[in-house]
Amino acid sequence: MDTFGYLSQGFGVALSPYNLVTALCGTLIGTVVGLLPGLGPINGVALLIPIAFALGLPPESALILLAAVYLGCEYGGRISSILLNIPGEASTVMTTLDGYPMARKGQAGVALSLSAWSSFIGAFIATCGMVLFAPLLAKWAIAFGPAEYFVLMVFAIVCLGGMAGDKPLKTFVAALIGLFLSAVGIDANSGVYRFTGDNIHLTDGIQFVVLVLGLFSISEILLLLEKTHRGQEAVKATGRMMFNLKEAASVFTVNIRCGLLGFIMGVLPGAGATLASAVAYMTEKRIAGASGKFGQGDMRGLAAPETAIGASACGALVPMLTLGVPGSGTTAVMIGALSLYNITPGPLLFQQQPDIVWGLIASLFIANIMLVILNIPMIRLFTRILAVPNWALVPVIAIITAIGVYAVHATTFDLFLMIGIGIFGYILRKLDFPLSPVLLGFILGGLMEQNLRRALSISNGALDILWSSPITFGVWVLTAVMLLLPLLRIWRKRAVARRAIADV
Amino acid sequence: MLLQRIFAAVLLLACACLALMAWPYQASFSYEPVGPRAYPLLMLGLMGLALIYMLFRPQPTRHSEEEPPLDRQTLVKIGACVALLLVFAGTFEPLGFILSSILIGVPMARLYGGRWRPSAVIISLMSVGLYLLFDIAMDVPLPLGLLDVLEN
Repeated sequence: MDTFGYLSQGFGVALSPYNLVTALCGTLIGTVVGLLPGLGPINGVALLIPIAFALGLPPESALILLAAVYLGCEYGGRISSILLNIPGEASTVMTTLDGYPMARKGQAGVALSLSAWSSFIGAFIATCGMVLFAPLLAKWAIAFGPAEYFVLMVFAIVCLGGMAGDKPLKTFVAALIGLFLSAVGIDANSGVYRFTGDNIHLTDGIQFVVLVLGLFSISEILLLLEKTHRGQEAVKATGRMMFNLKEAASVFTVNIRCGLLGFIMGVLPGAGATLASAVAYMTEKRIAGASGKFGQGDMRGLAAPETAIGASACGALVPMLTLGVPGSGTTAVMIGALSLYNITPGPLLFQQQPDIVWGLIASLFIANIMLVILNIPMIRLFTRILAVPNWALVPVIAIITAIGVYAVHATTFDLFLMIGIGIFGYILRKLDFPLSPVLLGFILGGLMEQNLRRALSISNGALDILWSSPITFGVWVLTAVMLLLPLLRIWRKRAVARRAIADV
Repeated sequence: MLLQRIFAAVLLLACACLALMAWPYQASFSYEPVGPRAYPLLMLGLMGLALIYMLFRPQPTRHSEEEPPLDRQTLVKIGACVALLLVFAGTFEPLGFILSSILIGVPMARLYGGRWRPSAVIISLMSVGLYLLFDIAMDVPLPLGLLDVLEN
């Protein structure tokens, strides 16, 4: 029953007028950021970190702002996928499959409101799941020592490769780049300057915001230069805006199923919204069988990925809050934000700062409701934003990115560093390396090194502490399974190919 | 494939250099069995192994449909864009935020296919607007540079 006491306390925090306004601003900014090409949830949240800090927001309000932006971005991404058939990010690819055909049939308004509703149900299920499971997980995680944490982080990194699937080696290299970059700067334990090249600006390491904005904003700006297509005409959202009761009822079971699925996928590190939406879509397509018109504007095909995205976005906050181990690029950014406030997410956060945790959880409920209410009447306004041409948009994005970077330390060195990282990120993208593992590696790297060193200090250098306890051993077994998954997939693909050749 | 091999080779070389750089990192005296050198070397070693594998067996690269192959024209454009960003970083403090963002924003808008007059109007308005928004409304200090005289 404790949980409900805390939850009502959390609602007390989240419902204070100041935090309500913060959440409202966050959802609006997030929706616009998610809409625009070149800005996604990762840059959106990263850009706001220095600004939230400069504004002097208290930590719980800052966290509420960032979470609201995160949810808003997921909402905004859907508008361009449904009306333009351009997925704002990888996770909304599945939304375009049935959302765009629906819009072409003149049901654009229905598609938008129905997807907002689906995502709301998904987020609601996941937030309920979070209320139930997060405190349990946190209680369990208190027993974790440094060795357990180290192994858990190895697992999170390996999960990225195992789950992402089609390019495990590239994911692995990207994560290692991030893990290595976290070692730049002064070593806190011994005072040794590592890889600074006597540059005073690198003494306390590469700034997190600089890395994120360089990797994601600058490389995106360069990528936008290549895209030749110009301002595709958006489908006009006319006619009925709201879905009716019958339509909502027809997708309700889909919502529930995909919500649960999305929550589980979101909690697992490395899986995230992209995989959750794909799996949800495929499963529903199979369940519907021949009766479905998937790909031609089936409502279930729209509801399934949207519910899963909403649920996994909230689910991803569970490992971040309880273990301090982020599972996705965006939650990694949020951990970066928290560390600016000197808050270390982890099991102790639930005991020491319940205001922050439960305030955040409660504000997720509120932000989700706000988004549903806001989205439906404002769809026309949002579609107008989509018509802004790239030539006006991109320079402004570049300028705002520079402001975000400059706001951290007020040195131009950071600006040059950001451009350098941006060029590197652009090359990585052109070579089809995924970028968010770099970010996760960067966040996990510092924690990983500290925990490894602490664990080995406890055992006085004996390595067996890393696998002797039952928890560590269990996690190693899971890690091995994750490592084998891509190999298994490759092997199976080869077997299929061989059979195909044999058949011919 | 070739590009990926070159990339792997360059990164491998960088790994080797960084490992050399990390070799002398040792605490003068320490309380713990693991010094500051072990972790970076471990990461560089793992990365090196993965890169060597990639050097011999490059991974397939998939491009989305709307991504045209790189030609000379886009490379020139990208070079120009990078140069503009560098100029921006260089002039950010001496010229001040407003002037430097107009200086690079207008050519950048041209690069993305805008016409001179609308680009100049929009970028000038936006840079003044952003300055007011961030510096005055949000308390993010931005340099005024040459426009310093206007303040008083």
